[in-house]
Amino acid sequence: MLNIKNLEATIDNKHILRGLDLDIMPGEVHAIMGPNGSGKSTLANVLSGKNGYEIKGDISFNGKRLNELSTEERAQKGIFLAFQYPLEIPGVNTNIFLKTSLNAVRKAKGEKELDTLTFLKLIKEKASELGIDEKFLSRQLNVGFSGGEKKKNEILQMKLLQPKLSILDETDSGLDIDALRIVADGVNSYKNKDNAFLIITHYQRLLDYIKPDFIHVLSKGKIVKTGNAELGAELEKTGYSNLA
Amino acid sequence: MKNFYDFRIENIKDLTLEEKNLRKKNLDLFFQKGFPNKKNEDWKFTDLNTILGKNFNNIVNKDFVSEEKKLKKIDEFEHNFIFLVDGKLISNSFDYEDKNSIFIKDYNYKNEIKLEKQSSLTLLNSALATGGFTLEVSKNYKFTKPLVIYNYFSKNLKESIINSKNSLILNDESKLTLINYIDDDLNENFMTNTIDNIIIKKNASLNNIFINNSRCNGYFYRFIKTVLEKGSSCDNYLLSTGLKFNKLDMEIDHNEENSRSSIFSALNLLGLEHQEIKTRINHNAPNCKSYQKIKNVLNADSKGVYQGKIFVKNIAQKTDAYQLSKALILNDESEFDAKPELEIYADDVKCSHGSTSGSIDFDSLHYLKSRGIPENEALKMLINGFLNEILETLSDKKLKFFLLEKLESQINGN
Repeated sequence: MLNIKNLEATIDNKHILRGLDLDIMPGEVHAIMGPNGSGKSTLANVLSGKNGYEIKGDISFNGKRLNELSTEERAQKGIFLAFQYPLEIPGVNTNIFLKTSLNAVRKAKGEKELDTLTFLKLIKEKASELGIDEKFLSRQLNVGFSGGEKKKNEILQMKLLQPKLSILDETDSGLDIDALRIVADGVNSYKNKDNAFLIITHYQRLLDYIKPDFIHVLSKGKIVKTGNAELGAELEKTGYSNLA
Repeated sequence: MKNFYDFRIENIKDLTLEEKNLRKKNLDLFFQKGFPNKKNEDWKFTDLNTILGKNFNNIVNKDFVSEEKKLKKIDEFEHNFIFLVDGKLISNSFDYEDKNSIFIKDYNYKNEIKLEKQSSLTLLNSALATGGFTLEVSKNYKFTKPLVIYNYFSKNLKESIINSKNSLILNDESKLTLINYIDDDLNENFMTNTIDNIIIKKNASLNNIFINNSRCNGYFYRFIKTVLEKGSSCDNYLLSTGLKFNKLDMEIDHNEENSRSSIFSALNLLGLEHQEIKTRINHNAPNCKSYQKIKNVLNADSKGVYQGKIFVKNIAQKTDAYQLSKALILNDESEFDAKPELEIYADDVKCSHGSTSGSIDFDSLHYLKSRGIPENEALKMLINGFLNEILETLSDKKLKFFLLEKLESQINGN
């Protein structure tokens, strides 16, 4: 599904990703762990098509080269990034944002856009699955939301847009145990044989709830070790220092 | 520079000799001063004389014979209306109200034209003003529906100027929401120079809203003087996007205790539009509150100006005055000038001001795009989000919805 070959990324003259390779197949859950500054968030940003990076190497998604696609085209093709720090957008109503987003993606797929009533019914259902109070949806997007509420909102968007590849960038940071469980349940309930996950995290904690098929250790812009779910527990004990 | 205007008192009908002489004196003083330029502190960023000289060959004042204009009413919310064509009162309707509590008539210029030391545009107005209306609301009368003032303009207005005065008096405990609505389907260049005198008496309150239905090639200058008595309030909402040139010059006098005023503006300027907001809030009495939030989005070659002054007299203790201007500049060719000023002579006051201008937040734009929303649409969402906050305090739900929709269509460039 996702094939990354020899990816390099530079921003403001800082060479961050230095020849990264990664292959993700449908139905798989991959986790990327690594110390601060190893390039984890850069990888997420680059995959989402954020401006400002100078890119070398190849990224392809379902056989199509991604490098030239805009952020919105990538999203429309089924790549979803749950942000580490979801942005607060004053004056933009959450429901209107969600509807605009869903309809943009549906339109790109050649599906019929949803009218307001159908949309509201759908969003109400998805929100209740995640224990999100409907009142949140009539508020300004992420404005005044707690850390946990913002992260739940990201997972709500994921479940709404039904991407093929979901990248979760430190979705566990700032979550208490209850919120973590809800977020993890959200991910687990969406997991199926056709879609895949790339979970970026510092800690083993989230991986206790979402079981990865592969764990990769990122260090200085490269994947230096790949293992199965047990690697996480090992790293928790030994730290990253002897891998770097 | 050749003169680009030809103003004559003789073009106004039915004046007494005395009136004629007074108007003539005003006009002579105007001729001495001419249209304002940047040397005038009130026009620090705008050379009106040059702008008009470039865009007009010969501006004249006519005695307007209004053509028949058919009023196309707003159907989104129920309202009363005043219908003006070229500034002249054509008809009115107060079907939702107790008609005995409302007095409306043509503005009476007899004894109203004076000769005082004034700005050149005020002199010009005093010399040439015709049309206009006087509206008075009785004590204790609260309007049940808003009042829309439809401003239409006739075809024969090309290369001419309309000068008019309006007067509004809200008596004690009365309440009114006013919508100044410009609906112009012409593409002609013309100018208006309007003076509104508003008196809001004890505990009365006014919402004063400015909005247009369409883009318009007119050049508008409006001086709005609002006097607040004890416990009264005035909330202004400026949404006048779409005019080629517009200057709203607002002076608000807090003359008695516990009066409150606000000015909110949301403008999305396109093309070569020029919009200017000048305010002067005079705190002449203690315990009054004023609030200004000015938001501008500048596209293409547009220009926005905000000159805001808060004056606090020595006796005006416990004044609470706030002023903030925020601009989003989306093009290198667009320009925004802000000049906030505080002049404070009392020692126990709370006054603050701030002014920021910047470009769109690219991280926010990226966030919206990462959800599949095309860039152009994402940008409009952010602009709308930036501007629509100024309508938050408006309590009339239907009216608010109408204004939000208009704002959205302005942002979409309609």
